[in-house]
Amino acid sequence: MKDTRFLIHFLILLLVQVCIANFFRLSQYVMLSILPAMILLIPIKRGTVAALFIAFATGLAVDLLSDGLTGLNVLALVPVAFCRLGIIRLVFGDEVFARKEDISIPRQGLWKMSVAIIMAQSLFLIIYIWADGAGTRPLWFSGLRFAASLAGGYLLSLLVAGILAPERTGVARR
Amino acid sequence: MVDERKTWAKVISTVVFILMEIAALSMLKHSGSLQDIWVTKASHRVMAWVWGGFDSIGHYFSLRTENEKLAAENAMLTESLRRSQDKVQKAMENGLLTDTTMVFAGYDHVPASIVKISRNKQHNYFILNKGYEDGVRPQSGVITASGIVGIVDAVEKHYSYGLSFMNTGVSISARLGNEGAVGPLTWDGISMDGAVLRDIPLQYKYAPGDTVWTSGSSILFPPDIPLGIAGSSKVVNGAVNEIQVDLFQSFTALRYVTVVSNAGREEIMYLENLENEGEE
Repeated sequence: MKDTRFLIHFLILLLVQVCIANFFRLSQYVMLSILPAMILLIPIKRGTVAALFIAFATGLAVDLLSDGLTGLNVLALVPVAFCRLGIIRLVFGDEVFARKEDISIPRQGLWKMSVAIIMAQSLFLIIYIWADGAGTRPLWFSGLRFAASLAGGYLLSLLVAGILAPERTGVARR
Repeated sequence: MVDERKTWAKVISTVVFILMEIAALSMLKHSGSLQDIWVTKASHRVMAWVWGGFDSIGHYFSLRTENEKLAAENAMLTESLRRSQDKVQKAMENGLLTDTTMVFAGYDHVPASIVKISRNKQHNYFILNKGYEDGVRPQSGVITASGIVGIVDAVEKHYSYGLSFMNTGVSISARLGNEGAVGPLTWDGISMDGAVLRDIPLQYKYAPGDTVWTSGSSILFPPDIPLGIAGSSKVVNGAVNEIQVDLFQSFTALRYVTVVSNAGREEIMYLENLENEGEE
């Protein structure tokens, strides 16, 4: 039940990301993405390999359903999936794994969740902006784009965390 | 057991991650021209790094052979130096020579390594790991203890491009025997250690097995570098002999070389230019 609910929410958010990519291009300096938060919030019981496949499929779906370069979201999102458990361990500690609990804002707090989202978002944006510019953009442009996209993406990711978090779906362990 | 499973899980996830990133880069490469160039350049850098690593490992394991070669070369040079010193000493005792510097002056030597060489074309080339910052100049000779390798054609900051002797367009001035006839020596175009010495007058008698040396009559190479052994000959146009030469220097395994530059090259070229202008 919990997995089905997560899957439905995940697919809805995927469509939201496709809409953002196609219709909400605010500026050349802002690239909004909720994909890193979606990958970060995959239940912990799913291992890295499963997260890698989910990230690959999700990134490819967004690439194919939007006007961007095919492979760009995949290239940036797969590393987030690869580092996902490392980020969770670094920010939330080993006890999350020991208790086998999923991460959420009510349980771990806004501060820690923000740090984790910013780390995932940063990793995604660095690779995305780097590959999108293909070494032709000046550093100031890439830096500005990174900062603006990180700020926008962080706010959207907090909403995503609220939607995908187990407490909001009524299946909290505690 | 648990640790082993964790290790395997990490290995598998790393392999899957790398494969997915390669797939993503492949897709990206085909979806934009900028990205195509970017990915291609990056892949070339990675390949160069990987091949460079393999090359370094290969050189490490061939160090023993290289050391043996260097030891043999060192022994030969020591013997050659001793003989030269004896000659200079005798010449000074006889009053034929007063200044020893004139015997050894004339060429600058720069040790270098070949980083790339072609062998399977008619116009072969090589690239050295030394450039103009290291003192290499265009139109310098490239030699080893076993003979000549080619001529430096173009020079960059840290690398030089040279025309290999295994190039049908390269010809060097060679002398047959200690005081014999001089003619142009060119690659035979077939083997890695074969050359042809042309335009040797019919009246000059030689025996197969005579050594062929650099003549010293060009500004590229110092005189008396042993090049190879004279073999069979044939008469061309009834006027001159064409002699097959088995080179001492084989191009199959070649790495360490010396670039020789004539210190008086500018002055010689200046005089040549004056002469040419005078003729015009």
